[in-house]
Amino acid sequence: MSQEAMGKERWAVEAELPSLAKTLSQEKIDRYARASGDFNPIHVDPAFAAQTPFGGTIAHGMLLLAYLSEMLTAAFGRAWLAGGRLKVRFKGAARPGDVVTARGRMQRAKGERGICSVECLNQQGEVLVVGQAEVKL
Amino acid sequence: MSKAIEALEKGHQLSATSFVLDEEAVIRYLEAVEDEALPRLARAEGEAWVPPMAVAAQALRSLMEEMTLPAGAIHGSQELEFVRPVEAGERITCRAWLSHRSQRAGWWVLAVEMEGADESAQPVLAGRLTVMVPG
Repeated sequence: MSQEAMGKERWAVEAELPSLAKTLSQEKIDRYARASGDFNPIHVDPAFAAQTPFGGTIAHGMLLLAYLSEMLTAAFGRAWLAGGRLKVRFKGAARPGDVVTARGRMQRAKGERGICSVECLNQQGEVLVVGQAEVKL
Repeated sequence: MSKAIEALEKGHQLSATSFVLDEEAVIRYLEAVEDEALPRLARAEGEAWVPPMAVAAQALRSLMEEMTLPAGAIHGSQELEFVRPVEAGERITCRAWLSHRSQRAGWWVLAVEMEGADESAQPVLAGRLTVMVPG
């Protein structure tokens, strides 16, 4: 069987992508700020963030997308890096202490591309990020 | 000079920006996001790839040098397309423009489209960012 056929077979409709979970901390958020250069005080200044409607610091949205990207890299390899598409909405904030789970499911094929639902949830099952990813199968 | 995003007109073209993510920056990013999948894949393929979200995050950061987001701004949505893997040390140039600007229920709804290209002007990344700003 060709590698392409194996890929299509592996990712049958409704197949779950291998999920991953990360525990957030302020130290990890600060580390991401240094790596990305995004020092918005809502992420890194607890005193400032306490005065906002969030009541405390929150993780960068792009950090949550990094978790989705890791999951998609593990699932699809190079196909995610070359031709991968992601379309998501941010629905909730992730905070220090939260356990963020990135998960996804193959929804359907569109031509030679697979379309997956993807989301990030916190430990209460609240949706933080939701959307779709597309990869060539 | 940085301008408030809600003060920009629809169609406004941001200045092109460019950046390089070297190996040190890639390592720092991978440690920050605790990504184990990309290094495993890159090792298996003998490549020095930059995580795609590191490229996207750096592209967004470079755009923010020209526009500021006020306190209370919300990152509403994000669309990204990764055309090809970026190698550590490659120079990426980003172009962006304000593609949508409307006001609804006390919020500005703003969308920025961006494109990232390599030194041969070949696309490596495209994206669309939606931001809600109180006002």
